[in-house]
Amino acid sequence: MKESPQTRFLQSNLQASKFSAGGFLGNDQRPIDEIIADDLRQLEEIGRTVGEVVQLLKNAYEKIRSGLGNDVELSNGVTGRFYESMGRIPSPFRGDGVFEKGEAVVTDENSGDSLIITKLGIHLIEKHHFFQGVGCRYRIEPQQVFQILTK
Amino acid sequence: MIQSILIATGFITITGLTLALLLVLAERRILNYGECEISINNGEKELTVQGGATLLASLAENDIFIPSACGGRGSCAYCKLRVLAGGGVISPVEEPYLSNEERKNGVRLSCQVKVRNDLQIEIPKELFSVCRFSGIIEYKKPLTYDIIELRIRLKQPESIDFVAGQYIQLESAEYKGRESVMRAYSIASVPADNRSIDLNIRLVPDGICTTWVFEVLKEGQAVHFTGPYGEFRLSDTDAPIICIAGGSGMAPIWSIIRDMKDRKIERETTYFFGARSQADLFYLEELRQLEKVLPWFTFIPALSAEPENSDWKGERGLITDVVSRHFPDCSRHEAYLCGSPGMIDACVAVLTKAGMPEDKILYDKFT
Repeated sequence: MKESPQTRFLQSNLQASKFSAGGFLGNDQRPIDEIIADDLRQLEEIGRTVGEVVQLLKNAYEKIRSGLGNDVELSNGVTGRFYESMGRIPSPFRGDGVFEKGEAVVTDENSGDSLIITKLGIHLIEKHHFFQGVGCRYRIEPQQVFQILTK
Repeated sequence: MIQSILIATGFITITGLTLALLLVLAERRILNYGECEISINNGEKELTVQGGATLLASLAENDIFIPSACGGRGSCAYCKLRVLAGGGVISPVEEPYLSNEERKNGVRLSCQVKVRNDLQIEIPKELFSVCRFSGIIEYKKPLTYDIIELRIRLKQPESIDFVAGQYIQLESAEYKGRESVMRAYSIASVPADNRSIDLNIRLVPDGICTTWVFEVLKEGQAVHFTGPYGEFRLSDTDAPIICIAGGSGMAPIWSIIRDMKDRKIERETTYFFGARSQADLFYLEELRQLEKVLPWFTFIPALSAEPENSDWKGERGLITDVVSRHFPDCSRHEAYLCGSPGMIDACVAVLTKAGMPEDKILYDKFT
């Protein structure tokens, strides 16, 4: 099927660009619609919603950001640290605006799992239900959000 | 039979060529906007440009460099300026980047405004003095495990006029399949030293420009940047000063304090520098030395995650708590802040709580 100009624009923005060194798809070969559908299905299977994911991520991000680069304990064995970064990054979706850079890195010391939460990452999930492609540094695994942030 | 095929082929070819010719003529006639006048700041500067290009590109062709990081894609929103007449309607690309107030004031993204007719625009006056510089990397020196000092010796033009606190936009080269980008960095050196500039650059994981600086850029290599930009600078008042910085936010403060020394400005100044541990501190000796020679200057580094049993004898704790302890009342002071948005937000909250009016808090947020 022929791609619309909007889809072509989005696909091109999802690749590595002037703003995102690695792009938003990682090594995921699936089209974006399929990535979104698969992640929503995964959420449905565990009986959770996008709203719950977003709330957990927002709470963790703000708490870690206020730590000014120091370790912040979120729960037993789960800590976060904020890494500052200069500038802003635009959303790959046209017209979404620009977002503060900086990463809140959450680590679960028991399982060794981690999440990298960014303002743009939260926005992509909230507005587009896009958790980013597998292999992307900023990919959020829906299940992992609950495993790590609801301890 | 063959004759019919030849006639049909000939007919199709001639029709195609005629249509192509018509398209070329139409394009020249319809899309040829001719020469257009751009009047800047109420006639302070008048440019004559060939219509058809973007406003951003037309200004750059005339050596007026508006800050931009995305190369005109309409995604960074750095290239805002006021278009008072002739800019046409706001494009869908611009919509999300403009607040209601900005729309009312004619603010546009210059990379999205096409020069199709005469324009009247308004830009900050200091952009007239922004140049594109070529230079050579004189040295690249590690300051900490993730911050380096980069000295760029200027080649063309050979000198730069800037105010302490301003920044430049460094252009990275293409590498490992990554496009060339422009990123903003505050100047760490002093205006008196106008043949070169120093930058403090912190490595950002996966950062396109910082990875290039750390891993690709070599001493002796040619680089380009535009500048100087920015409003962050020392005020003309006599109010005592509180400076707060963290990480590579050191750069503009380091420049401002030494510029004060050069210009013999003797305002009581206390500089708080927040870091996690001793490994994150730099220019410590130089700042201690300044403290000795400048009676009006005090430097207070504060560490928030230094091991308790270490030999550190200085302040400990979050930088905001340390500032509060030293200045429970800031109502007489002015503040100069440079760091991450999180740090700036936290510092603004602490300073205003201690009585400092918000308009006395000047900051260079990393945005």
